[in-house]
Amino acid sequence: MDKKELTRRGFLAGSAAAMGLAIVPRNVLGGEGATPPSDTLGGALIGAGGRGPGTFNELGRSSSGKKHEVRRLATCDVRYKDRADNKTTYVDFRRVLERSDIDVVAIATPPHWHALISIAAMEAGKDVLCEKPMTRFVAEGRAVVEAQKRYGRIFQVGTFGRYGASKDKGNVQRHKAFMSGLIKTTDMVYHARGGFKVKEWSGMVVAPPQPVPPNLDWDLYCGPSPLRPYHPHRVGGTHRGYWDYEGGGLADMGQHYLDAFCWIYGRENTAPVEIEAYAPPAHPEATGLWGWVELRYADGLLLVLESGEWGKPYDRAKTKGLNLDAALGEEGKKKLAELPDPEPLVEFGDAVKTRKQGEGNSAEGFHRTVCILHLANIAIRLGRKIRFDPVKEQAIGDDEAQRLVNQPMRAPWHL
Amino acid sequence: MPVSPELKALVDQMPDEDRRHMYSNVYEEGQFRREKGRGKEKEKEKEKEKAPEPPGQPKSYKDVDKERIEAAIAEIHKGGRDSILGLIDMLVEPVATNADAKPHYALHALALLVCRLEDRKARVAFAEALASQLGGARPKAVLAYLCQELGTAGGKEVAPALGKLLTDEELCDPAARALVAIREGAAEQFRAALPNASGKCKLAIVQNLGVLADAESVAALQKAAGDSDPDTRMAALWALANIGDAGSVPLLIKGADAAPGWERMQNTKACLLLAERLVAAGKKAEAAKLYTHLRDTRTDAAERYVREAAERGLAAAR
Repeated sequence: MDKKELTRRGFLAGSAAAMGLAIVPRNVLGGEGATPPSDTLGGALIGAGGRGPGTFNELGRSSSGKKHEVRRLATCDVRYKDRADNKTTYVDFRRVLERSDIDVVAIATPPHWHALISIAAMEAGKDVLCEKPMTRFVAEGRAVVEAQKRYGRIFQVGTFGRYGASKDKGNVQRHKAFMSGLIKTTDMVYHARGGFKVKEWSGMVVAPPQPVPPNLDWDLYCGPSPLRPYHPHRVGGTHRGYWDYEGGGLADMGQHYLDAFCWIYGRENTAPVEIEAYAPPAHPEATGLWGWVELRYADGLLLVLESGEWGKPYDRAKTKGLNLDAALGEEGKKKLAELPDPEPLVEFGDAVKTRKQGEGNSAEGFHRTVCILHLANIAIRLGRKIRFDPVKEQAIGDDEAQRLVNQPMRAPWHL
Repeated sequence: MPVSPELKALVDQMPDEDRRHMYSNVYEEGQFRREKGRGKEKEKEKEKEKAPEPPGQPKSYKDVDKERIEAAIAEIHKGGRDSILGLIDMLVEPVATNADAKPHYALHALALLVCRLEDRKARVAFAEALASQLGGARPKAVLAYLCQELGTAGGKEVAPALGKLLTDEELCDPAARALVAIREGAAEQFRAALPNASGKCKLAIVQNLGVLADAESVAALQKAAGDSDPDTRMAALWALANIGDAGSVPLLIKGADAAPGWERMQNTKACLLLAERLVAAGKKAEAAKLYTHLRDTRTDAAERYVREAAERGLAAAR
């Protein structure tokens, strides 16, 4: 294919010319009050079910309130075998990423594809808005962070809790106090209870094989995960109930719930060091029941996640908030006052336009949030306390835990 | 060997599935809020509620009982190798029944127990018992499950048994996964299997030699970089990059100049990765060759981001 034909400007110019006398929208021609073609972003949606269209609509997010123009040039889904034309509709995301007229990609596949497609998209020079949860296991997140750094792309996860939280003055002060290192230790206990949809998003323990629907590329759906016999419960929203694709409602909803927590309490560059769970022995393939998980950070902060859906209620520690003044002391308060406030978080569309990298589009921050949930799930799956090195991002002295921190992938897929 | 009644009774202590075929017991507790379902989803849930209970299941489900399950698994563990082999005998191909749901779960729970005991001998005995069954005539789905469990609880002692499956079209992937999870002793198995492997088995082996960053495989990987299969070629170049092999710089550059498309993108990534590895190893001159090549050849606007990445890398390499 001629690359010159595939540039964004070239594509739009060609489209306009091809339309001839047809009515040309103002946003294509440009002009006062309209977005000129060179400012219109070429977009692709990969994973068109469920959250797909909603995620695509977030590509133009702007702090001004007026969204940037994004034209959907390609839609890709492994369930499109019956309609793919490899021009606007695709089954294989690799063919989408080969197009140079696509600037931004919305990824709304099941999570076992999030990291790999995000990385591949950045390798193809695209900016990425990925649905939550960002990844399926810890090492995937580190690979996304490295890809973002290597290629200088914009990357965000479709969860926006930190945006609202960062507009509150008190939260900004807490964020500064932790991120600057002014608070070195804390006895704070943060307790998140309920809403993890544990039972709703459990997996089936008996799922007899069924014929693969003719429109579904099952091999590509499974991708880096084991090629299991097909069952419809493994596809669609119920994929959340299988370790092959996600980590149950905990990993799914948790990224929403903890996004603001991580930003406010400065957990953006670190991870829990001790994790302990209360749960029955885990099923090897299906996600299932758990009661609570304790995650302790090196500075003493204790994060408790409680499902409220199984077992005895959590009673080992009481919620304890942060008294910022007491934690800082007089000297610390003075130092905090002298520190500049962090820059406002940059919305995805604005970041694409300005190329401004910051906390709002740092893969690192989103990675550290979802790491909490991956570590919680490792403790649930192994049924014992684990210890974790937040710098090396490795389980300490625990082979079995490390095997879940960095999980094997089915060829040809790898990090 | 017939499964003992005692073992069957212990396996029966594993949880019962609910009407959704899950361990969540939602209908018993009434905690699943069906009213949340919309449209067809809601209708489907109503239909399920009306559905007859699975045959052989008790009318009333008990909540998943952690203590009861753990006590039964501890008893199974006391049965030693015979109990492990008995559990394996109870596994069957996936069929439209729940015939092996309980032993399937019990075997995994036992794997978790032996990992938790901090008793190396117990873990090794468990893994060796599983590995002893890999060469038999059991269904491939059962063997794949044993590989999966060895990926949880196996160690170097089972690497040779897993290595024998690396040239089996149906089992090379689960065996490769288990070996990569185990790591210790895995590279030897991949190396030994590579000359006899083809198709997807060969691809899995080449890729995982890269995952393990096996420096002893450089020559074999360089050969695989010329394979007729594009996935194998890409995997080989990435593997050489991940190993950080300075001698493969010309091969990587040649691969990165592939025609525009997926292979060019992937091989360009491999070049950048190799350059990073070389910088980290203090081989800045070799890294600079890669960066310079990418900077000078990515002149089209569509590849400006690669040129910029190379320029950043070059600056760091100086």
